Amino acid sequence: MRLSIRESATFDWRRFLQARLPLVGVGVILVFVLLAAFAPFIVSDPTEIEMRREQDGETIRPPFAPNSQNLFGTDQLGRDIFARVVFGLRTSLIVGILVRGLSMVAGTMLGLISGYFPKSVDDIIMRITDIMLAFPVILLAMTVTAVLGPGLLTVCLALALVAWPDVARLVRGQVLAIRDQTYVEAARSIGAGNWRILLRHVLPNCLGPIIVAFSMGIPGAIMYEAGLSFFGFGIQPPTPSLGSIISDGRGYITVAPWYPGFPGLVLTLLVLSVNLVGDGLIDVMNPRAAKGARNGQSAT
Amino acid sequence: MLGYTVRRILQFIPILIGLVTVLFALLNILPGDPARMMAGPFANPDVVETIREEMGFDRPLWVQYVDNLWNLARGEFGRSYQSRRPILKDLLEVFPKTVQLAIAAEVTSALIGVWLGIVAATRRNGWADRLIMTIAALNLSFPLFWLALMLQIVFAVFLRLLPPSGYGAGFDQFVILPAVTLALPSLGLLARITRAALLEVLGEDYIRTARAKGLKGVLVVRRHVLPNALIPIVTTIGTDFVRLLGGIPIIEVIFAWPGIGKYAYDALVFRDLPALQASVIVLAVSVSLVNLAVDLLYAFINPRIRYV
Repeated sequence: MRLSIRESATFDWRRFLQARLPLVGVGVILVFVLLAAFAPFIVSDPTEIEMRREQDGETIRPPFAPNSQNLFGTDQLGRDIFARVVFGLRTSLIVGILVRGLSMVAGTMLGLISGYFPKSVDDIIMRITDIMLAFPVILLAMTVTAVLGPGLLTVCLALALVAWPDVARLVRGQVLAIRDQTYVEAARSIGAGNWRILLRHVLPNCLGPIIVAFSMGIPGAIMYEAGLSFFGFGIQPPTPSLGSIISDGRGYITVAPWYPGFPGLVLTLLVLSVNLVGDGLIDVMNPRAAKGARNGQSAT
Repeated sequence: MLGYTVRRILQFIPILIGLVTVLFALLNILPGDPARMMAGPFANPDVVETIREEMGFDRPLWVQYVDNLWNLARGEFGRSYQSRRPILKDLLEVFPKTVQLAIAAEVTSALIGVWLGIVAATRRNGWADRLIMTIAALNLSFPLFWLALMLQIVFAVFLRLLPPSGYGAGFDQFVILPAVTLALPSLGLLARITRAALLEVLGEDYIRTARAKGLKGVLVVRRHVLPNALIPIVTTIGTDFVRLLGGIPIIEVIFAWPGIGKYAYDALVFRDLPALQASVIVLAVSVSLVNLAVDLLYAFINPRIRYV
């Protein structure tokens, strides 16, 4: 049965490498990951305050404009925005992967169960996804973080909670197409149990769309986290987040446009790169149903 | 068709009950005492107690829950904890403003998106096509709240062309920035779909015939290409409208647009359960009605599809 894994998730590396845009995406993500991973060794302390500075014989007050010392300028307390952004990237990447991981595991499990087991189980799970999908996403995420209390982990839980129904539906669709295949019947006829069939035969054959859905959902998670933090429902100081830096910078848009500007540019670049990689994955894997996982991602 | 429509609407009732249940559960776990919130920070404990009794917060939770569902079933949204006004009255005031914003945004995105797609398709592989398609590939990636902020900086703070936020008379200068912000992320998708649909039709024999009989390029596009390419374009506009509704709360809060999204946000901040649940219900119903309308429209422009 190992053969069937290869069949559905063939990954054509040559085609992936030939397309230029996904490679650019991979490059940017790599730079961001390295920056985030080695942040303390690369940038100065993001909490270091500098309330005055001598320039041309005059004393000036923060926010200081971008220069060679502060690439992205400083905020109203003279803290280096580049350093804050790099630490914020850390948060974004952690949230993106954690949220997507959680929602993929939950969504895949429920999707497998929903597609494979009798209609009564399927109905219950699908009605729950109907309810979750009917919510205005950002309002639901805000309500859940308000209930759980703000913080990195609760934001991840809230976002995973709103993201799993899409995954469950995608996986269910795949399972419905697979469960009547001859090899599933063959496995059953030699006495394999339901769970063994699901995990060893059905799941490997939906892996292609699942991998694509994983990558396509990361930008949404990153943007929703930034959005929640922007509105004060997300990650709280002192944990840095791109969303809350942009929110802090709102009041300074006239005197220091770099303050909200650069963090947003970095956020956009990150989201764009992950999207490009996702598009590249779709092209090489060509799973028919995976595109649905992208719905609603740009709502923040 | 009628039976299908009725069934779709009936199917939504259990979903609404689910929505209300989830919200009720969440808001009752939420820390904070609604009676104290209503009384204000410096209120006398007696006043808080009176309000608690008046509003029925002292009853067991399941009684409050059943009562709440029963009221909703009768179409009673109740009173807002915050403004103490009937919520229905508030909603009738804020919802039309959201409709205005949504329509302005969708019209903007449909007109510009389809136009870009037409330009790209008719100049296939030219520089305009490449430019538009490159931008289209990048478009989905903007975080809406940051885009809003940047547009405010450029057009309201520096150029001083438009007001940064607020509400005027509906379709006036105040609607431009929020509508454009909502429309921008969908332009790329619409342009891409339009281009693909047009290119498919442009390859058909009857287009060659139209050209051969000497019809001018613009007329060929308008009379023969567009009507035949309409189905995927209309479907995309429909699904795009649903996406756009999801962004409404964020945009309304940032641009201080007094619509239902901002109303819901304020209700959440104030722990105003009846107002929050009413606005979530209205938003969810609007989204599902738009979905239904798209499906019906789809069958209308493509007679081969029949819903039973």
